[in-house]
Amino acid sequence: MDKKRLGELFRPYLMIAPAMAGICLFVLYPIIFLGYLSLYDYNLMNKAKSKFIGFENFAEIFSRGDFYKSLSNTVIYTAGVVVLTLLLSLVIAVWLSKKSKFNVFVQAGIFTPHVVSIVSIALVWLWMMEPNLGFLNYVLKALGLPPSQWLQSSESALMSVILVSVWQGIGYYVLIIVAALQSISPSIYEAAALDNASKLKVFWKITLPMISPQLFFILVIMTIGSFKVFDTVKVMTGGGPNNATNTLVYYIFENRTTNIGYASATGVVLMMIIALLTFVYFRLLSRRVHYQ
Amino acid sequence: MKKKLTMFLMLTLLIGLLAACGNSNTGSTGNNTSETDAASNQPSAPAEKVTLQFWHSMGGTNGERIDAMIKRFNESHENIEVIGTFQGGYDDTVTKLQQAVASGSAPDVSMLERAYVEMFADSEVLEDMKPYLEQSGISEDEFTEGLMGHSYFNDQLVSLPLNRSTPILHVNKTLLDEMGLTIPKTWEELEQTANALVVKENGEITRYGFSMPYDTWYPIAMISQAEGKFFNEDRTSIGFYDNGVGLKVFSQLKKLQETGALYYPPATDSGNIVNGMFKEGKVAMIYQSTGSIGGLTEAVDFDYATAFLPQDKVYANPTGGANVAMLAASKNKEAAWEFIRWMETDPQGALPFILESGYLPFTKSMVESQEIKDLWAKEPNRKVAYDQLQYAVDTNNDVTWPEVMHEFFSAIEAIMYDSKDIQATLDTFKKEAERILAD
Repeated sequence: MDKKRLGELFRPYLMIAPAMAGICLFVLYPIIFLGYLSLYDYNLMNKAKSKFIGFENFAEIFSRGDFYKSLSNTVIYTAGVVVLTLLLSLVIAVWLSKKSKFNVFVQAGIFTPHVVSIVSIALVWLWMMEPNLGFLNYVLKALGLPPSQWLQSSESALMSVILVSVWQGIGYYVLIIVAALQSISPSIYEAAALDNASKLKVFWKITLPMISPQLFFILVIMTIGSFKVFDTVKVMTGGGPNNATNTLVYYIFENRTTNIGYASATGVVLMMIIALLTFVYFRLLSRRVHYQ
Repeated sequence: MKKKLTMFLMLTLLIGLLAACGNSNTGSTGNNTSETDAASNQPSAPAEKVTLQFWHSMGGTNGERIDAMIKRFNESHENIEVIGTFQGGYDDTVTKLQQAVASGSAPDVSMLERAYVEMFADSEVLEDMKPYLEQSGISEDEFTEGLMGHSYFNDQLVSLPLNRSTPILHVNKTLLDEMGLTIPKTWEELEQTANALVVKENGEITRYGFSMPYDTWYPIAMISQAEGKFFNEDRTSIGFYDNGVGLKVFSQLKKLQETGALYYPPATDSGNIVNGMFKEGKVAMIYQSTGSIGGLTEAVDFDYATAFLPQDKVYANPTGGANVAMLAASKNKEAAWEFIRWMETDPQGALPFILESGYLPFTKSMVESQEIKDLWAKEPNRKVAYDQLQYAVDTNNDVTWPEVMHEFFSAIEAIMYDSKDIQATLDTFKKEAERILAD
């Protein structure tokens, strides 16, 4: 009897032990080690040469111009990507929400970029954005518009990267919103129609609140994802020109070979920022999100 | 009880799986090596045979040449087997090497981009090769002096040259002859010649005078041509600020860029872009590595020539490419030295690789060898590259160079792409460099 009790007591722990072991090994340990590294002037190859320097790395981070530059780039990038993607995918989703063969076809088309690897996409756009021979400038010139320097000037580089990310991400979010739209019960719309509600009012008062959980989900996922943007920057600009597209993660990446302690400290800062953002989102928005 | 047992079984299985994951990783890298040099993989080795790991950064055709070299070594050495692994570009190799050293799984011998040598040496992970050199009776004077700038650290010999290059002027002689121009020897001549070569159609430039890849190499070359130094003598600041050299160099570049005499390419893939434009005749001259001579000679159908980089006050050029180093943690240092010695001095060592690839010969006996003499007689362009080495000077050696380099890139981008004020940009750069150097 006692034995059985003991078994009951330990069984749940035993059951989650493999998963916990994985989490400890691959999530908790790296995070703790990151924190540890951030307090050192760390020499990766020769531990004897590492120096404990307390919070000096953090002090350095907050006194360096290039950190603020990459932070503001990241914020602009995130805001740009999140706002543009949300708006565009909402519009497209509303347009595509009626089931028809044509709409299914268009939806598949919009979704395709999401299937392709972001690296290939970035490379293709890199060609198209080449200022002298690229396709985009060819189109602009053909339309009689002034060509852009795209990735080659610090004024337009960040915008170009945002453009590619939005183009790549839209299909996926359209899919989520379309599914949400189709799950709204038609009886609500029928009731609204009986009350002679205007189309705009139906959209604001019914459609939007009904899909708000999905929109909230997209907002959180995309903000976090955009804050960690790396691949497009790595392939298309390498953080340039003159740090115009240097984002936080790329900044960490750049410092990894030369100063791993500093890079880790930046990693800790990035983690804090994302944690804070997520927390604020949940506190502010969860009250406004309509759950059925 | 039974359930518990199954749980334990499952646990063991899972842990086994995890371990297998770890194993399969090393397994797959092993596979990669055997793929890259399948030919050198000999079936079952004798028991006392020493296996050496050699990491390099040569992909493509040059990778095949390295593999062929390793094969030659393995065939001539019964007791040593070298396993070469391509680790990606120079920077990738450096990152992987850092991690490998940290985890105790570093190779015995590695190719190391020369600018990173000091960073590794400072961490005391590179073996001093002086005793080995003495033991084999090789004099340090045997090596080409201009290529030894990155070999010493605190009086230790931590690396030896392997695939080394230097920037040089590549010229489309046909275009110059058409216009009755000669190959420029000074900055003024370069300015005149390059401007004369510009072709404009409907307000758009269809041919530029000259170009250079996006790199720190070429501005550094120009800094030393104007008798500046990248770092000052005591390594506390940069050596081209107070004397006005930096302002002069970048003003010159900017002036040329504005007229179309200089085409400054986009940062990404700039080397290929510049080479492509040169092949198509869209730019008449380029500053580019000697490592491109082989490829360009094959690809162009015009009269192609190389020349020294034009001088300002003096002829000067930095060097580049990679050295070879022995890791201090290696367990087979004797064998590792034998591999390095063989590469450096044996006629069957790196010499065929040098001959085919276009990298510079790095020992006196190499230069005097019949093969090199024949090659130079056939392709005088290659000799120019070696002759220029008498002016080779590297003024950017410092442990912090990789970090300073990043700031220097930012400065180049600010000036060349965004046309920011040169003096203000150099002010910022100087401040950043001093901060890094002070650490």
